[in-house]
Amino acid sequence: MSIDYSLEPSIIEGKPGLASIDSTIAAPMETRPNKNFYMALSVTLTMLGIGAVCLGYSFYYGMGLWGNNNPVGWGFDIVNFVFWIGIGHAGTLISAILFLFRQKWRTGISRFAEGMTIFAVMTAGIFPLIHVGRPWLDGYLMPYPNQHGLWVNFTSPLVWDVFAVSTYFIVSAIFWYIGLIPDLATLRDRTVDKIRKTIYSIFSLGWRHSNRHWHHYEMSYIILAGFATPLVLSVHTIVSFDFAVSILPGWHSTIFPPYFVAGAVFSGFAMVQNALIFVRKIFNYEHIITLDTLEKMNKIMIATGSMVGYAYAMEFFIAWYSGSPLETFVFVNRAFGDYAWAYWIMVSCNVIFPQLFWFKKIRRSIPLMFVVGVFVNIGMWFERFVIVVTSLSRDFLPSSWAYYKPTLYDIGILIGSFGLFFSLLLIFTRTLPVVSIAEVKAVSDGAQPTHHAGGSHAE
Amino acid sequence: MIGEHIHDNEEKPNLEEMSPLSRRNFIAILGASAAFTAVSCTDYPDKGKIVPYNKKPEEITPGKANFYASTCNACPHSCGVLVKTREGRPIKIDGNPEHPVNQGKICAKGQSNILNMYDPERLKVPQVIRDEKLVNSTWKEVDSTIITALNQAVKDGKEIAVLCNTITSPSFAKLISEFKEKFPTTKIYPYEAFVTDNRNTAWKACYDNIPQFAFKWDKAKVILSLDADILGTEGNHVEQIRQITSKRSADELKSFSRIYSAEAGMSITGMNADYRFRLAPQQQLDLVLTLLVELFPREAAELSLNTVDYSFTKFASVNGLSSENIKQLFSDLRQHAGESIVYAGDKLPGEVHIAVNYLNELLGNTRLYDTESPVVEYISNATVQDFEQLSTNMKNGKVGILLNLNTNPVFHLPEDIGFAGSMSKVRYAISLLENLNETSKLSNIILSGSHFLESWGDYARRAGIYSLQQPQISPLYDTRQKEAVLLSWIRGAYNEQDWHDYIMSNWEKEVYPKVAPAADFKTFWNTSLHDGVTAIAQNKVVFSEFKKDSLKNIRVKYPTQDFTVIFSESFSLGDGHFANNGWLLELPHPVSKVVWDNYASIAPATATELGLTFGDMVEISINNRKQKIPVFLQPGMAEKVATIELGWGRKEICEVGLGAGFPAQSLLSKAGGLTQLIYSGAKIGKAGEKYKLVTTQENHLLDELFVKDLHLRRHIIREGTIEKYQKEPNFIKVEKEKQLSMLKPHEYTGEKWAMAIDLSKCIGCGICVTACNVENNVAVVGKTEVSKGREMHWIRIDRYYSGSNEEPIVSNQPVMCQQCDNAPCENVCPVVATNHSPDGLNQMVYNRCVGTRYCSNNCPYKVRRYNFFDFRDRLADGYYQQDSLSLLHNPEVTVRPRGVMEKCTFCVHKITEARQTASAEGTKFDGSNIVTACQEACPAGAISFGNVNDPESAVSKARENNLGYSLLEELNTNPNVTYIAKLRNINSEDIT
Repeated sequence: MSIDYSLEPSIIEGKPGLASIDSTIAAPMETRPNKNFYMALSVTLTMLGIGAVCLGYSFYYGMGLWGNNNPVGWGFDIVNFVFWIGIGHAGTLISAILFLFRQKWRTGISRFAEGMTIFAVMTAGIFPLIHVGRPWLDGYLMPYPNQHGLWVNFTSPLVWDVFAVSTYFIVSAIFWYIGLIPDLATLRDRTVDKIRKTIYSIFSLGWRHSNRHWHHYEMSYIILAGFATPLVLSVHTIVSFDFAVSILPGWHSTIFPPYFVAGAVFSGFAMVQNALIFVRKIFNYEHIITLDTLEKMNKIMIATGSMVGYAYAMEFFIAWYSGSPLETFVFVNRAFGDYAWAYWIMVSCNVIFPQLFWFKKIRRSIPLMFVVGVFVNIGMWFERFVIVVTSLSRDFLPSSWAYYKPTLYDIGILIGSFGLFFSLLLIFTRTLPVVSIAEVKAVSDGAQPTHHAGGSHAE
Repeated sequence: MIGEHIHDNEEKPNLEEMSPLSRRNFIAILGASAAFTAVSCTDYPDKGKIVPYNKKPEEITPGKANFYASTCNACPHSCGVLVKTREGRPIKIDGNPEHPVNQGKICAKGQSNILNMYDPERLKVPQVIRDEKLVNSTWKEVDSTIITALNQAVKDGKEIAVLCNTITSPSFAKLISEFKEKFPTTKIYPYEAFVTDNRNTAWKACYDNIPQFAFKWDKAKVILSLDADILGTEGNHVEQIRQITSKRSADELKSFSRIYSAEAGMSITGMNADYRFRLAPQQQLDLVLTLLVELFPREAAELSLNTVDYSFTKFASVNGLSSENIKQLFSDLRQHAGESIVYAGDKLPGEVHIAVNYLNELLGNTRLYDTESPVVEYISNATVQDFEQLSTNMKNGKVGILLNLNTNPVFHLPEDIGFAGSMSKVRYAISLLENLNETSKLSNIILSGSHFLESWGDYARRAGIYSLQQPQISPLYDTRQKEAVLLSWIRGAYNEQDWHDYIMSNWEKEVYPKVAPAADFKTFWNTSLHDGVTAIAQNKVVFSEFKKDSLKNIRVKYPTQDFTVIFSESFSLGDGHFANNGWLLELPHPVSKVVWDNYASIAPATATELGLTFGDMVEISINNRKQKIPVFLQPGMAEKVATIELGWGRKEICEVGLGAGFPAQSLLSKAGGLTQLIYSGAKIGKAGEKYKLVTTQENHLLDELFVKDLHLRRHIIREGTIEKYQKEPNFIKVEKEKQLSMLKPHEYTGEKWAMAIDLSKCIGCGICVTACNVENNVAVVGKTEVSKGREMHWIRIDRYYSGSNEEPIVSNQPVMCQQCDNAPCENVCPVVATNHSPDGLNQMVYNRCVGTRYCSNNCPYKVRRYNFFDFRDRLADGYYQQDSLSLLHNPEVTVRPRGVMEKCTFCVHKITEARQTASAEGTKFDGSNIVTACQEACPAGAISFGNVNDPESAVSKARENNLGYSLLEELNTNPNVTYIAKLRNINSEDIT
């Protein structure tokens, strides 16, 4: 049997008409949310509230309420930061890199993934601000001219972080917004509600779907995609520098940048996959965000998961090969020391479970892929925990070792971060098109001019 | 316009309708309200007024410290102190360098004693029980009540019992005798808690009419310590540490002393001994007798001791010791006869002391007794029997007045004396104290006593060494010192000057004539006050003959059934007097590193046998006395022995000390066991619960292979034996690699500060830690925070074990900020809050610090300390923010707020001060006179500090030392702290 691999199956299933695409995608914005939505929102807002209360206490009494101790200066605060930054990575990868590579299957998921990027970066961005002892002085981390002649320390990776993360957020937000303009215009045209019309009119910047507009749009979109692409690599590279630039065994490692980026994409895809499984079901986007797309995401997960697994193995190899007893100790300690439980959660979730995706059945089974995706996120959270905490808790001088135990406040703030992320996501699903209307139309069957007469424009 | 105006005026204003407010008043109110609004909007809290001196007091220059000599009375050793005062308030206590005994050093308690004065919970006014309620009173009222009562007691022939600490003050001793004259029914009971009188009694049995001597430890080549913590809790350990460690220098190998320690528990002395024998206290006598038999068979035969019963091989095999090491001890003692000291611990039975005295006599070690200034005994201390009698008398109503002068008999005395119960039978139970305690709780008159920094006094613990105590500040509260109170009762009226005049006249009569008077008395007095001490050459005491009668019953077999429990005084809290002192409670125990608690130390093997692990509660019962206490698994402990520190577990105490430790003195009995402090036949049973014992260092037992000897494998601790060093002086440097750097090293052209720490001398006592705490306003964080690893000490003593659980080898290492040239903390700080000074210091700018903790993460030495909370506010709800405690702080060192990183700065304020002084005086500044707080406090003189660019300085020489190394050299951080590797005086090239 010969298969023509050049023939790609359609991205959008069921050949929906353009108008039906409009109405399907715009539906959540044009209908009142049902009870389920409010229930979900109340859950996430409660989580957010828990986080806010814990944070309030931490601000009032000091971050001593957390589990951080003397050797372990960073705990959940930085673990959460790196975790959320990582979650953001899938969005930019999907919207920018896959765009540049003309991967059309990204169309159905890119808007949502980008939204997640922005919310994840917002969530992540909170942690560097609150992890410090005196959050009211966070401004000191920004270089600004002042009479005291005080300047930031450009050799500190934390300053690089400030720039990397803020650049990332700004570029992602602009990129996202530019992509939204045609859709906002569509929504503007569809709505009869005065308030909405005003809002959509303002934000669609006078978009009239004109040829000229499309021309500029395409150009700026590709330029921004070009901008965002290196950021996918640079942000997590710089976040990894927080560790790699230090002298601590277990942190001081050249493997960190690629390893962190792979890990970030890995966890980001898992999170996007998890969320989309709900979105496509609830909003009837199953023909737009198809099973094929999910399968492709799972394939990326197995690829990045294996890279991460390779990095784990390589860390051990280098620890042994370097001949540095300190390095060796750190890694043996990770696997068999006080935090072995965390290490093995990490390995099983990140390396072992994703291997199930070699089986097509599992790759295409919604419940199974969901479970694996959840595991991946647990595993990736633990990866950051293992890196941050185990290295610090047993470093150079055995006299200073101590075991780190998170407190309820740490857990509360972690819950709060999920609350914030999912609250924003939920609000997003009801206020903006979670799938790009314009782009979906462009990839739906018959949208492209074709030599074949068969191409029809079903209305 | 004008017309209009006129027109307006023509209309008569209706005065009724107009506001009664005149324009003038309106403006005034407007102005006032604006002013009030502006004033009320300011958030400047009223911090009191700062007013310049109207008339400048003599000697006080704001910003300049004054130092005054005085004498510490925290224990009977009465060390001379030099108190630093700023603007009239004492802020630091250090040893008086002029004092011949303690020579500028002072113990941990002495260092922290300053906090006792500023303790916000001090008794502030006299209080009396009225209608079963404690009410404030006045001195006038209590004085008249008490004077009447005293006279009544004399009239009724009832006893007036006066309890106080050991009397070491000549004037106070005189005052006591006058008091007795005035009130003849007075009986005085001086005592020290948790110390036996066995040494004294044995001494009196061995020698006639001669006082006890201190040893000249610095003349000893061989020291054998028998269950005696000569470097820790026994005797004047400050003096002993100095003398003993002065003979532990790699520069003078010939005179390097050798320390043997035979002990059941692990003491500071044991940690630092070259040879250590694990020995149950019951076996100590046999060890001494074995030595006697082997060294002096003839004399031993006279005592019918023979080699059949007492030989090395037998002794070694019975006790599971290496007979080789015992033989080594034998040959060392023989070789160094006359240059060795055998010293038995206070808690050991009298027979051991007698045997030791005899052994020293035979070895000719008596010439190492300090016969020029023996210990003076003014009034013999009361014995347990005395207290038993007192208690009976009290119960029978024969005691009219019980006067407790700053002691705590209810807490100290064995419960079966029944002191507490008898107290209720005394009409007037009077306590004069600084803080409330168990005894004051049962007293009906409580007098507020002055702290020693508010008191006058004189002391002469050693013959011929007179030291004066002068107040550094007028009493903070309505307090009086005990001597002045007694004097006022004798004279019938109180006068502030009386006690001062009393001492002065006593000195004029007693001391002044003894010095060849070169000046008038007034000058002599002022000089003595200034110097704090006057030493008068004494005639050597001639030894009387050793009374061999004392040896009659020397052969004793002590009971050994079940467990043996050894009690000793707490290293940091003393007899419990300091149990409310946060700095001392938080001082890690030098051996166990436990803070805020006491515990029963047992051997790991014993623990396994009993199924116990670290922190398990056990119930210890001795006869019918029971006490629950957590266990600590201590490597090096003798099996079936538990050691417990006393002075903890105070029930009636102020807020800070409440709940710290367990009152194990409830296990003591008046009859005693082997002695008052050693009991055999104890039972230890698991109590079931778990207790949170908090240490500042993780506990790894020596059988955890993964982490075993990591400090040696990582070259954190480098040490060797003298033999190795002689053969191969560079032995510790063998592995040193050449460090490469991509960057050109920074040139330090001016001063560059550095420190060197001689690990051969450091014994790990932790006195430097307390000194640093006081100097640098280090916060007390409390047990819970320490359990999270958040203690704030800028300097810590790391203690590592190698070897086995049975025969551990202990290494100590003080670690503070290493002030690295290539400091890893500096380049990761995002806001440059930590940076490098031109003179090589790693600086910390608190104002700029945001608190990312990245510096601490990147510090390989983990010396940075983070303010997780506003710790001054955190401990017991703002305890350390109370008014009196703000007086305590050193104004030269910023009090750090929450969220800020801090660390050792090499006492940069002292460096700056010295530089300013040099600049003001126009002298050349070389930093040779700068002494850091830890260095100043170290009784062993292990720390040196100075300018490394000055080739003459001690530190630059230390850098060149063969034994010098820096911590984690391979990281290329180039620390400015050099460690001089420890040398052990073992007859072998390897440390085993």
